[in-house]
This record gives sequence, C-alpha cells and structure tokens, in this order.
Amino acid sequence: MDPITSYLGIACLLFTIGGIGLCLRRNAIVLFMCVEMMLNAVNLAFVAFSKIHGNLDGQVAVFFVMVIAAAESAIGLAIILSVFRSVASIETTDAAELKW
Amino acid sequence: MSFMEFVIAAIGIASAIGVVGFRNPLSSAFSLIVHLLSIAGLYALLGAHFLAVSQVVVYAGAIMVLVLFVLMLLNLKSESGRRIGIIRSAVTVGIGLVIFLAVSGPMLAQFTNIPQATLEQNMKASEGGVKAIGQLLYSQYMVQFELSSLVLLVGVVGAVMLAKRKNVQLTPREGGMGGAK
Repeated sequence: MDPITSYLGIACLLFTIGGIGLCLRRNAIVLFMCVEMMLNAVNLAFVAFSKIHGNLDGQVAVFFVMVIAAAESAIGLAIILSVFRSVASIETTDAAELKW
Repeated sequence: MSFMEFVIAAIGIASAIGVVGFRNPLSSAFSLIVHLLSIAGLYALLGAHFLAVSQVVVYAGAIMVLVLFVLMLLNLKSESGRRIGIIRSAVTVGIGLVIFLAVSGPMLAQFTNIPQATLEQNMKASEGGVKAIGQLLYSQYMVQFELSSLVLLVGVVGAVMLAKRKNVQLTPREGGMGGAK
C-alpha cells in the first residue's frame, strides 16, 4: 500500500472511532470532543487528497475547517454551559425535555 | 510507510480510542490533546507545515484550553452509576466497523493505483509552507477568508450572548471584606 493511501485509511479509522464515541457516550463535552475528532479525521483526508492531486486547495479547505471549528467550539461550549445552568447536568439523557 | 509515520499514527489511533473509552471527561480531554498533537505530526510528515503549526496553536492550544476551562468550571464527577451495556457497545462498534469498511474500501481501492512518478511530482508541488498557503488565501480565496473573519466575530458574540446569565444583579455582596459580625 502506498504511504499516501494509508493516510486515507487512518483518516477513515479515526472518523469511525469518533462516530462510535458519538453513539456510545452521554456526556455532552465528550460528545463535543468526538465531533472535534471527526473533523480532524476529515482534515487529515483533505491533506492527503491535496498531496495526491498536487495542489494546495485541500490545505486551504483545512484552514477554513479550523476556523469554523474554532467558532463552533466557542458556541458549543456556551450552549453546554447554559444547559448545565438549567438542568444541573451535562448528561444528554438528563436534558431530554424540549421546554421546561 | 516509514517507521515514524507508523509510530505517530499508532499514537493517534490509541489516543482516539482513549477519548472514547475513558470514563472521566478530564482524561478524555487530555487524551484528545495527545490525539491532536499526533495529527499535527502527521501533517508535518505530509509536508503541510503551516497546517501542522496552526493545528498545534488552534486545536491543541486554544480549543482544548476552552474545553478544559469548561470542564473545570462545571466540576463534574466521572460518570459513576450508569455503565454502558456490553451489548449496546458491541452493536455500536459492529455498525461502526461496517461503515468503516464500506467507506474505506472503495476509497482505498480508487487511490492505490496512482503512478509513483506523478505522485512524487504532486507531493513536491503541494508543499504547504506559509508562503504558498498565504498567497492562495489572499488571492484566490480572498472572499472566503474575509467571510471567515465575520464567522469568528459572530461566533464570539453568540458565545457571549449564550453564556451570559439572565438577570445579573450587580449589587455588592453584603458582609464582604470586614463583615465578620
């Protein structure tokens, strides 16, 4: 197997591990961290594709994904904080009601 | 695959499993830091030097500091009572592996037969230094770059709005400094 192809395999594996964590865990912050991990797996695939095709557009896309991830983490953690203020827990099973 | 790549990839996969597996969220967070640093190492090995540095600064630095701050602020105990059932986790891992095979099989099959000469040429052409990425960002991707600053601004304002307490009363605390009556 080419070295570059094995990077794609690693990216797939990391994406799968993140998805499994997203299904298994109930702690909202751990879910958030799993989403970050999946974003990183896709970023790794982007860089590998950029290498395969020989242009830098993939790496610029990774840069934009990082920008979005930074904004997303600020907003996501603020949402987790305000949920914690309402239900005094960040377990997703405790915050199952839509309105209270 | 060189020895260095193999070691860094193994660390990355092991720490990814650690993020999912640790019961204490704080252990997961530290495991995620190791994971992000190993991804930065893979970027550096691929020749994407700018991305490797910004991965360390943005992800392993800024975002993880934010996550750790929130974890400390919430003062959580580790998930004690509820264990995730063994059947449930086995089924989830099984479905995950099926999805992994379904996605990676065709992808790997498509990208294995690249001629070695063009691959080496392309690897050299896409050396992602600061200069190359910067030139691309400020010419071809100018509009998107400016828009991303707007996204960050909206994100910061939105985070402040969401995290702000309603009805904050700014009265001084009674019996503060010398109030030992």
